[in-house]
Amino acid sequence: MAAPAAATARAQALSLLAAANNHGDLAVKLSSLRQVKEILLSLEPSLSAEIFPYLAELHLSREILVRKSLIEIIEEVGLRMLDHSYVLVSVLLVLSRDEDPTVAKKSISVGTTFFCTILEEMAMQFHHRGKVDRWCGELWTWMVKFKDTVFATALEPGCVGVKVLALKFMETFILLFTPDASDPEKASSEGSRHMFNISWLAGGHPILNPATLMSEANRTFGILVDFIQSANRLPGALTISVISCLAVVARKRPVHYNTVLSVLLEFHPNLETVKGCHAASVQYSIRTAFLGFLRCTFSPIIESRDKLLRAFRAMNAADVADQVLRQVDKLVRNNERAARENWSGKNNQVISHQNSWDLSKKRIMPQGEDDTINGEVAPKRVRHNTNMHLTQQVQTNESLQGPVSINGISSGNHLSDSELTPVEQMVSMIGALLAEGDRGAASLEILISKLHPDMLADIVITSMKHLPSTPPTLASSVATPADIVVSSSTNTVHSPTPPAQLPFDPILPAGSSFSEVPSLSSSVADPRRDPRRDPRRMDPRRLNSSVGPTSLPVGEGKESVPVQKDISTLLSKPVSVSAVTPGATGSVHSTAVELSQNKMMGSSGIRIIDPPECREDLLTVPNECSYPSKEISSLDVPLSPCRDDEGIRETKYSVPDLDMLSVPDFDQHSPSASVPDFDQDPPAASDITAPEESYRELDPVPSYVELTTEQSKTVGKLAIERIIESNRHVFGFDCNKIRMALIARLIARIDAGSDVATILRELISVDHREFKGHDLVLHVLYHLHSMAILDTDESSFYATVYENFLISVARSFLDALPASDKSFSRLFGEAPHLPDSAINLLDELCSTRHDPVGKEVCDSERVTQGLGAVWSLILVRPNERKACLAIALKCSVHSEEEVRAKAIRLVTNKLYHLTYIAEHVEQFATDMLLTAVNSETNLSQTASTAEGIKMEAKSQITLTTESLGSGNSDIPSQQDLQTSREVSVISISEAQRLISLFFALCKKKPSLLRLVFEVYGRAPKMVNQAFHRHIPILIRELGSSYTELLQIISDPPKGSENLLTYVLQILTQELAPSLDLIATVKHLYETKLKDVSILIPLLSSLTKDEVLPIFPPLLNLPPEKFQLALAHILQGSAHTGPALTPAEVLIAIHDIVPEKDGPPLKKITDACSACFEQRTVFTQQVLAKALGQMVDRTPLPLLFMRTVIQAIDAFPTLVDFVMEILSKLVRKQIWRLPKLWPGFLKCVSQTKPHSFPVLLELPVPQLESIMKKFPDLRPSLTAYANQPTIRSSLPNSALSVLGLDNGQDSRSQMHPSDATSSIHGAALT
Amino acid sequence: MRFRYAMVCSSNQNRSMEAHALLKRQGLDVASYGTGSHVKLPGPSLREPNVYDFGTPYKQMFDELRRKDPELYKRNGILQMIKRNLSVKLAPQRWQDNAGDGVFDVVMTFEEKVFDSVLEDLNNREQSLTKTILVMNLEVKDNHEEAAIGGRLALELCQEIEGNETWEDTIDDIVAGFEKQHRRKLVYSISFY
Repeated sequence: MAAPAAATARAQALSLLAAANNHGDLAVKLSSLRQVKEILLSLEPSLSAEIFPYLAELHLSREILVRKSLIEIIEEVGLRMLDHSYVLVSVLLVLSRDEDPTVAKKSISVGTTFFCTILEEMAMQFHHRGKVDRWCGELWTWMVKFKDTVFATALEPGCVGVKVLALKFMETFILLFTPDASDPEKASSEGSRHMFNISWLAGGHPILNPATLMSEANRTFGILVDFIQSANRLPGALTISVISCLAVVARKRPVHYNTVLSVLLEFHPNLETVKGCHAASVQYSIRTAFLGFLRCTFSPIIESRDKLLRAFRAMNAADVADQVLRQVDKLVRNNERAARENWSGKNNQVISHQNSWDLSKKRIMPQGEDDTINGEVAPKRVRHNTNMHLTQQVQTNESLQGPVSINGISSGNHLSDSELTPVEQMVSMIGALLAEGDRGAASLEILISKLHPDMLADIVITSMKHLPSTPPTLASSVATPADIVVSSSTNTVHSPTPPAQLPFDPILPAGSSFSEVPSLSSSVADPRRDPRRDPRRMDPRRLNSSVGPTSLPVGEGKESVPVQKDISTLLSKPVSVSAVTPGATGSVHSTAVELSQNKMMGSSGIRIIDPPECREDLLTVPNECSYPSKEISSLDVPLSPCRDDEGIRETKYSVPDLDMLSVPDFDQHSPSASVPDFDQDPPAASDITAPEESYRELDPVPSYVELTTEQSKTVGKLAIERIIESNRHVFGFDCNKIRMALIARLIARIDAGSDVATILRELISVDHREFKGHDLVLHVLYHLHSMAILDTDESSFYATVYENFLISVARSFLDALPASDKSFSRLFGEAPHLPDSAINLLDELCSTRHDPVGKEVCDSERVTQGLGAVWSLILVRPNERKACLAIALKCSVHSEEEVRAKAIRLVTNKLYHLTYIAEHVEQFATDMLLTAVNSETNLSQTASTAEGIKMEAKSQITLTTESLGSGNSDIPSQQDLQTSREVSVISISEAQRLISLFFALCKKKPSLLRLVFEVYGRAPKMVNQAFHRHIPILIRELGSSYTELLQIISDPPKGSENLLTYVLQILTQELAPSLDLIATVKHLYETKLKDVSILIPLLSSLTKDEVLPIFPPLLNLPPEKFQLALAHILQGSAHTGPALTPAEVLIAIHDIVPEKDGPPLKKITDACSACFEQRTVFTQQVLAKALGQMVDRTPLPLLFMRTVIQAIDAFPTLVDFVMEILSKLVRKQIWRLPKLWPGFLKCVSQTKPHSFPVLLELPVPQLESIMKKFPDLRPSLTAYANQPTIRSSLPNSALSVLGLDNGQDSRSQMHPSDATSSIHGAALT
Repeated sequence: MRFRYAMVCSSNQNRSMEAHALLKRQGLDVASYGTGSHVKLPGPSLREPNVYDFGTPYKQMFDELRRKDPELYKRNGILQMIKRNLSVKLAPQRWQDNAGDGVFDVVMTFEEKVFDSVLEDLNNREQSLTKTILVMNLEVKDNHEEAAIGGRLALELCQEIEGNETWEDTIDDIVAGFEKQHRRKLVYSISFY
């Protein structure tokens, strides 16, 4: 633009600004401002900048809209001419505290943009030119102030809207200054703009100090976390924003994920009470955050899925979560499939197009140069260097449209290939920090401390892929093994960095070393690509890739020996490195090297190097450098061509560092000491391509040696031992976590479950009680399991490792720990998955087996332990529920009573309560019961065909068990055989075995008893005996809750009468039967079951009125039953007294009329006799009372006279009473009752002479007939009557019968003998 | 016309369009979207819905359905609805595919699933503007009557928000007040551009 025009524009702008400032009309002000903006944009930056101070004054304008427009102008103009925007930025700072929230908000968001832009600019400048412009530094000071202001805004009270944005700024700040280890797929999808990240700063930025910034980011993160924890006092909008920001941080920076997750999980504020806080929305924001986590696929998040799902369940949002999970899993699977396909494709391509790769590289080099010059492309470029240089490369190729054959290859493959995993990114980050020396150390420590242990372990394990072949040679090679260059699957070359060397270098002060070096070790290889699957593994060239030293020492046998010693002593130092086996140390060296290599990737702009070539390049170096002196010179060689060819700038970088580094190494005369110098500085790395050309033709040295399975197992085992050993000295939570992760990965790599378990056993079992061991085991298990799941192709491999490990650990618990220890159950309960063999182990534990050796004979405590485990598994592991249930049930019919009792307790008291298995349990118990019942029936029917029954029984049981648990079919079948054999000769103990469970269940569910009643009729005697043993206990247990029983009683199945009676007996034995029971039984008696014997047990509780009607049938029972009934009747209950008094019983007996009620006379007489037998009950008084009552009856009971006679027989002292009875009978004209009359006569005759008065009372005809019937009576009777006192009272007729009447002497003489006898008799008396 | 609103439902046909039409009539700056994978309209049976891609003009759907079964689609109100829609805008738009439509201040969704989708989508976008966006969910059943009610409620809510200088300070009270007044659940969240 010509100068005059510029001047005009300037003048115009100034006048417009004046209008904007002073004009009264807001519209004019705003339109003036718009015009100013146009002018500013059209002017040269330097000219515009002259206007900036005037523009800046507008921030004092009272008009909100003016201030807002000002910010908009600043955004648009300032960003375009950043180098002149110093004034404008200061305005932003002021306005960010503006009293108007909209202005403040606007300036914060614009300020944030400036912040990011300036940061990027500074990083770019440094990368491109090695220095940073002054204006940039000044702007940055303003930005730091801006940051402080905004942070303060977030913390101070104020407008929520502004604070929310301040929080967002904090989030941005955290993201910027926390190393980005997130999933590259996500990173690439974040958008076109690649945000600055702290990892760009590797290489010692003059202004930005990564360590400080990282620690500040951490502090900021802490502030956000604190916000959450004080959410009770915050407005809802603020809380939601914090949650949202934290969620973003967690998703983008996995380092913070666990912290965020635990904070959010523990977030249960009582928001209802907070005014101005919408609790539901806050809760929902947590849900949203968790949903977002579920969609992420990096490892800490995947590992926490269970936690998340639990949280969702708690929120009643499990279905949503499941849906998301399904989506994600599907996505992951698709990606994996795609990746696999790409790999197989790529393999061929890489090999066949070796040359084309070279070509492409050459083509791209100049293009890269252009990029660096062009400021706009630069940011992208750096980004690609760190993460996806290959992508860039391919794109570039395409843009070039060159004749390079690589372009023909699907770029998609390379794309996926080029994406670095989080591990790789971390590695590059670490490498970059290492390269900074002391300055980086602090940041490195922060970084490491923030790393998830899994990530750290992944890094270590990844590096192990490059384990060198033979540890000894490795060690021997050099005093500073770290110096040796290694391979990488992606690219570049390196030398070790000074810190990395330290642990191995005896000369350097140990204090300055990085103790975390081992954990840093890693390789650039993409961990997602399993090395075993990596087709390139077969590529001979790949073998070159690893450690140089391995090859070197071969020719230096002498040297190697002492050096080796050196190293071994070093290894024993407490540095954590020492934990690693010789083999592992090898990997550490290599890793260290790789780190620096990565550093280069990160910091320098090389994207041209392709992996295979690189390796070759690297190899050349060691080959060259057999002697220290040579090495240095050799170094120059590779470097120089680069510079020449490519014209890449910086030689200067290497110089200072090179000196510094090489000195110590050199002093040591380590052959490869100079290697580090080789590309000590990032920019120098770009040179690395050069050697490739010079040394391509050299034979590759096979530095990557594939270990045999045995070897790698041994190495892995040694490594584990070392780690464990080291841990004895190092105690600390973090350390522990890292150790766990490491061990888990090692175990996954070497399939040596039992061996490793042996190694771990001691540690685990000793440690287990403090749960450290447990954590370790679980960690290992989860790792293995996740490997097994993720790795669909080789699932069997990891699954086997998993299984072996689990089983051997479990066995070691059983061997080493007391039975009371919960570790075993805990292990099974918390293991991610239980294979069949685990179930078998459990089964074995529970139902032991009589080992012929007697070693394993079932230890009851172990059984308890096993059953306890079974129970907890049933509770917590739905998948294994059936199998576990089968075990429990099997034990519940175990032949050993102790085992059985325990199992039954478990099944009935615990398992049966679980609705989901109650049915199984019931079914099983029923089947067992039926087995017991049926087997003998069959046997008795066809005793000869025992074989057949065996089969039948077996099949029945097998069916049952199989229906329950499919996992352990072989064990049940053994059991079945045993069962069937015993069934054929069923004994009472066998019956007990089979039915115990059922009866135990009956306690819980009385309605089951019905089955017992049903089968009772057909059950074999032994089984019934077993029933009878169980019933009393059961009935007593049932206690009052026998309504179920009542139902059964009210409708007893056929054939169960005996059992029913037995049950009733038990029911009434100790307690008075309830009214319900009485009513039920009576009803039963009245309706279905006419057998009165069932009433016997109840008789004592019945009233007189109830007893009397059933008395006749009772009497009709067999004598012993009647006796029992009688006893019950007479016994009565405590409060009601006896149903009938003995006298009443007698009367009742006598009331029975044989013809009518059925019982034959004989029965009645027997009954009477029975009564008389109980003389303690039917006493004299009782008889008297009964007789006294009966004699008044009309008609007299049939057996009355018989009873009288019996009474007098039994109790002769009753004679007077009987005489009274007799005389009563006389008065009742007993002679008219033909059935009683003979009895009367008999009685009279038996009771003479006491009966004489009675006889004399009889009317004459009767007397006469008696005299005739019992002639021997006459003399004594006559004698009696002849007594003056008597005679006087006798009527003549009587006397005449006796022959005492004078007028009738003739008659008496007719019977002289009679008369004399009677007189004689009378005289006698 | 201070804030810019977006009404979002699943198919950008009924609920979001009802609200869109209403807010538009009231002079608010509003747009509307759907978050489903396709635009789905009821068909002759539950298993035969009419499925369209987002971006298919309402007019085209209208003609097609009228050709298919004018009686049915008149009876179930679909034709009337689409007719209303075509007077509001050209075609249904998918929320996830229209990030380029610029910055909204307030997004109203009418279904929890949609709410989740919008939030997830916002989270996946590059958040570089440092600008807040208020997302609110009001559960509204997908039928004409409920949509009409939902539209009115959305309008009321937006007007109340419009009346505030910065909604961040008052949103909790607005939401709580709304819930209390209308006895309907309302959830909000805050995301960023």
